[in-house]
Amino acid sequence: MAEYADPDVLVSTEWVAEHHNDPAVRIVESNEDRALYTQGHVPGAVEIDWQVDLQDQIVRDYVDREGFEEICRNNGINNDTTVIFYGDKNNWWACYAFWVFKLYGHPHCKIMNGGRKKWQLEGRVWSTDRVSYPSTTYVAPEQDKSVRALREEVLKHQKAGKNLVDVRSPEEYSGERLHMPDYPNEGALRGGHIPGAVNIPWPLSVNEDGTFKTAKELEKLYCKANHLKRRSPTIAYCRIGERSSLTWFVLKYLLGFGNVRNYDGSWMEWGNCVGVPIIKGSHPQGASDNTIAPTPLP
Amino acid sequence: METVNERLDQIVEEFVDLDGREKLELLLDFANRLPPLSDEYAAKKTTEDRRVHECQTSVFLWPEISNGSMNLVAEVAEEAPTVKGFVAILAEAVASRPQPEAQELPEDLLEKMGLADVLGMLRSRGLRAIVSRVRQELINAE
Repeated sequence: MAEYADPDVLVSTEWVAEHHNDPAVRIVESNEDRALYTQGHVPGAVEIDWQVDLQDQIVRDYVDREGFEEICRNNGINNDTTVIFYGDKNNWWACYAFWVFKLYGHPHCKIMNGGRKKWQLEGRVWSTDRVSYPSTTYVAPEQDKSVRALREEVLKHQKAGKNLVDVRSPEEYSGERLHMPDYPNEGALRGGHIPGAVNIPWPLSVNEDGTFKTAKELEKLYCKANHLKRRSPTIAYCRIGERSSLTWFVLKYLLGFGNVRNYDGSWMEWGNCVGVPIIKGSHPQGASDNTIAPTPLP
Repeated sequence: METVNERLDQIVEEFVDLDGREKLELLLDFANRLPPLSDEYAAKKTTEDRRVHECQTSVFLWPEISNGSMNLVAEVAEEAPTVKGFVAILAEAVASRPQPEAQELPEDLLEKMGLADVLGMLRSRGLRAIVSRVRQELINAE
C-alpha cells in the first residue's frame, strides 16, 4: 500500500497557511490544554473544546443534535464548510472533534497533518486575536451510529472474536498501572484489557513531528504485525475515547478499514462495569496466548 | 505580609469577574511568571524522583521548608500552560509563609476562581488533585 486510502482527509500546514482566509474553510483547534489556544492559534482558527463544548455537562455523552447545530452555527460553520481540525498532543483531540463531527454527519472534515507541533516547528505565525464569524443556519442529521460503539455492542463484538484494538500504553493494557485514588478522573476499579484486544499504543501511528506515519508503515503495524483484517468489523478503545479516535481515524481513512468504530466509553466504562470479561497481562487472550506478541514502544 | 488565605483571596478577586477567555489570559500571565529551575534544581531533576507520576502533564515539585517558611519550586511542561499557571498561583500563594498555612490551600480554589466551568470536569479534577498534592507535601515537608 503506497498511498493512504483517503489522502484527501489530510491537509498540510502549508495548505492551511494559504487557506486560513478561505470562506469555504473553517479551521478548528481542539486541545488537551485550553490555554494553548489563548496563547496562540492558527490565524482565523476557532476553538471547539472536546470537554466543555462537545460533551454534555450533565449526562456522560455528547451534546445532542441541537447542541451540535448550535456549536456549528456559533462558529460560522455551514453544512458545506470544509472543517480543518488541528491541536496539541499529536492531534488527539483534533481527531476526537473530527470524530464527533462525523457522528453528526458533517461531510467535509480534514485534519491538519502534524497539528500544533508541526506548525510550531516550522516557525509559523501564531495569532492571539479573538475570532468570530457571522452565525449560520446549520442543520445536523441524527447521529451516525456507524462510527460509534456502545458497551453492549462491544460485548457482542468481543464474544464474536472480531477485531479489537486497545491503544493505551502497555502498562494500562496489562493492568499493571492503576491510578492513584487522588485522581478519580483517571480511575477504573479494574485493570487489564477486553479479551481478544490487541495492544497497539497510539504513539506508534505518528512521527516525531506529529505527522502520521506512512501508509506502508501503518499497514505493517496494524495489518501485518497485529493481523487486523480490513474487511473485518473493528472497534478501537482507550481510556476515555480520545486516543482511540486517532486510531479510528488511522484505520478508517489512512488504511481504508471498511467498518471501524470508536468505543468512546472505553476503559473508564469497561473497567468499572459489573460482570464484563477482563484479561490481565500482556497477551490478548491471557497468559496462554502467544499468537500475537505485544507491540513494543520505540 | 499577607497570609496564604489573604493572597488567594486577592487572586480569586482578580479572576472572578473575567470572562472565560480573560481568565485563561490571566492564567497565562501567572504561567509566564513561574521562574525556570535554577541549576541546583535542574540537577536534582535527574537525581531525585520529584515527578508527579499520576499527572499526565510533566510536573516536578519540590516543597521546601527553610526556617519554618515554605517555598514551592516547580517545573511544568511548556505544552501545559493551564497546569503551569495553576502551579504558579500555588507557588506565589505560599512563598515565604509559615508552614502551618499550607492548610489554607483550598481544594475548591478552581471553583472560587470561576475556572472550573471554563476547563470542564476532567481537567478540573486533575487540578484539584494538584492542590491536595501540594498541600499534603508542604504539610509533610521537613
